[in-house]
Amino acid sequence: MSIQFKSITELNELLDKKVISPSELTQESIELAKKYNELNCFVTLNEENSRKKSASIDRNQKKSSLLSGIPLAQKDLFCTEGLRTTCSSKILSNFIPPYSATAVEKLEDAGSITIGKTNMDEFAMGSSNETSFFGNVHNPWKKGFVPGGSSGGSAAAVAAGIVPAATGTDTGGSIRQPAAHCGITGLKPTYGRISRWGMIAFASSLDQAGPLARNAEDCAILLNSMSGYDSKDTTSLNSDVPNFLENINQSIKGRKIGIIKEFDLSDLDTEVQKRFEESKNAYENLGAEFIEVSLPNISASVPTYYSIAPAECSSNLSRFDGVRFGYRAANTDDLNDLYVKSRSEGFGDEVKRRILIGTYALSAGYYDAYYKKAQQVRRLIKNDFDNVFKSIDLLMTPTSPSTAFEFESKGTQNPVELYLEDLFTISANLAGLPAISIPHGQVNSLPVGLQLIGNFLREDLLLNAAHVFQTNSDFHDAKPNLENFK
Amino acid sequence: MDRETVRTICYLARLEIDQEKSERIQKDLETIIELIGSLQSIDTSNIEPLFNPLEMTAFKHEDLEASDNKKDKFLENAAESNEDYFLVPRVVE
Repeated sequence: MSIQFKSITELNELLDKKVISPSELTQESIELAKKYNELNCFVTLNEENSRKKSASIDRNQKKSSLLSGIPLAQKDLFCTEGLRTTCSSKILSNFIPPYSATAVEKLEDAGSITIGKTNMDEFAMGSSNETSFFGNVHNPWKKGFVPGGSSGGSAAAVAAGIVPAATGTDTGGSIRQPAAHCGITGLKPTYGRISRWGMIAFASSLDQAGPLARNAEDCAILLNSMSGYDSKDTTSLNSDVPNFLENINQSIKGRKIGIIKEFDLSDLDTEVQKRFEESKNAYENLGAEFIEVSLPNISASVPTYYSIAPAECSSNLSRFDGVRFGYRAANTDDLNDLYVKSRSEGFGDEVKRRILIGTYALSAGYYDAYYKKAQQVRRLIKNDFDNVFKSIDLLMTPTSPSTAFEFESKGTQNPVELYLEDLFTISANLAGLPAISIPHGQVNSLPVGLQLIGNFLREDLLLNAAHVFQTNSDFHDAKPNLENFK
Repeated sequence: MDRETVRTICYLARLEIDQEKSERIQKDLETIIELIGSLQSIDTSNIEPLFNPLEMTAFKHEDLEASDNKKDKFLENAAESNEDYFLVPRVVE
């Protein structure tokens, strides 16, 4: 009996009926990761520890969690104690964290097994997983095509059915866009919902961890475990965490969904537009009402983001200096030379580009014009969201302007071309709002994602709307043909 | 964005750019600065910057002594260290 492509809910049934043991399940998951090695979705496998932990899982305990004995993959940006954590960068290629990220610790405390660390864009800077020091990840739906990014390895591992779910992080769309390109479900929770302790920082006011899974119900299972206040993260929210499975089945009749006037979808591929219209109709049939709303400043999201995120990145990445951890260049003349050479040899081109932009935006004479200006526009964007959420429950947009594209086909001449990939996803990060991407059909045999954005702390409404859509459709059940990757 | 500015930013960021990549980087930076420069047309007078979506001050927790000293583990990750310190090239004669 193969466990490939099974959801967490389905795996729990198999475990409960003793069709499979936690050890066998973990072993098969690791075998699948090896079998589809060519996808390049793992940087490091955690074989020995996974075997040990899965052998110790007791599913008969009274309070056994839904994650007990379930194999998961962690994006290689979460620190994992004793297990190499690289952020897909040369500069961290030998880094063994002395502690684990709170989000990972919580998932492991619930009984899940970390089978490995997934490939990603270097330091999460990218939308195509082409900036990894460890090479490109292939989209399971088409060899030579990008899985999206930055959580591309996590998305590909779930889409290929190697693990039922994985963790990701989302700074400008890094969970939702790869989920869309790989035909799976990905949730970026409210900023502060999940602790960022032990997550290697990119842009601290935008970064948020979240789950990627085969469906919304499984995302809710992971979110239940990952969420909660953590005194070690000063931006962690000290608010109640509901059980996200509780109201996931309720009817969405009367739910008001906003369509953003400022996003001109007629510029998109006609088939992408068609999928969007079809899903709108599907939601109408489920009882939702659509309202056109205006967010006058949302078109400024991309330039706002590309001022703030590099500024925060240039500050955060100053810690990589070759002294305390990470790569150190050989043959250096003095301390300054050690910093310069270690950083210059250790970082890839996109990371350097963003550090330089951020350094420029924060430097004397430019701070007001670029950084402060962007933070002011950010408030305008957030005010727009606050305003529309007075009259609607959710917003709906495509997740990405296009489907997955071929390696090296975007952004090679002009980096801004690739930055526009994040057009629909970025604003949720700027405002700190939760958002989900669900698969809603295909264009030219490649998956397309639908994005729902919710108000502050309303992941419950997002998961409910996504789950009801998925119980009335089978787009999330589509499986790629992996013959080419064996 | 001229060559001198790029050199200054590289110095501030402690990065050096290969000669052959320097023109490309300069061009990329110009394109990105042009993108973020488009924000200038938006009226933000009397708008406070939003530095963090939660807009709350950091939580404080009690300053309690903890016993999880992982000095050895931390030092293990350094390229060079002795039993107490990270080692770097000599900075004083």
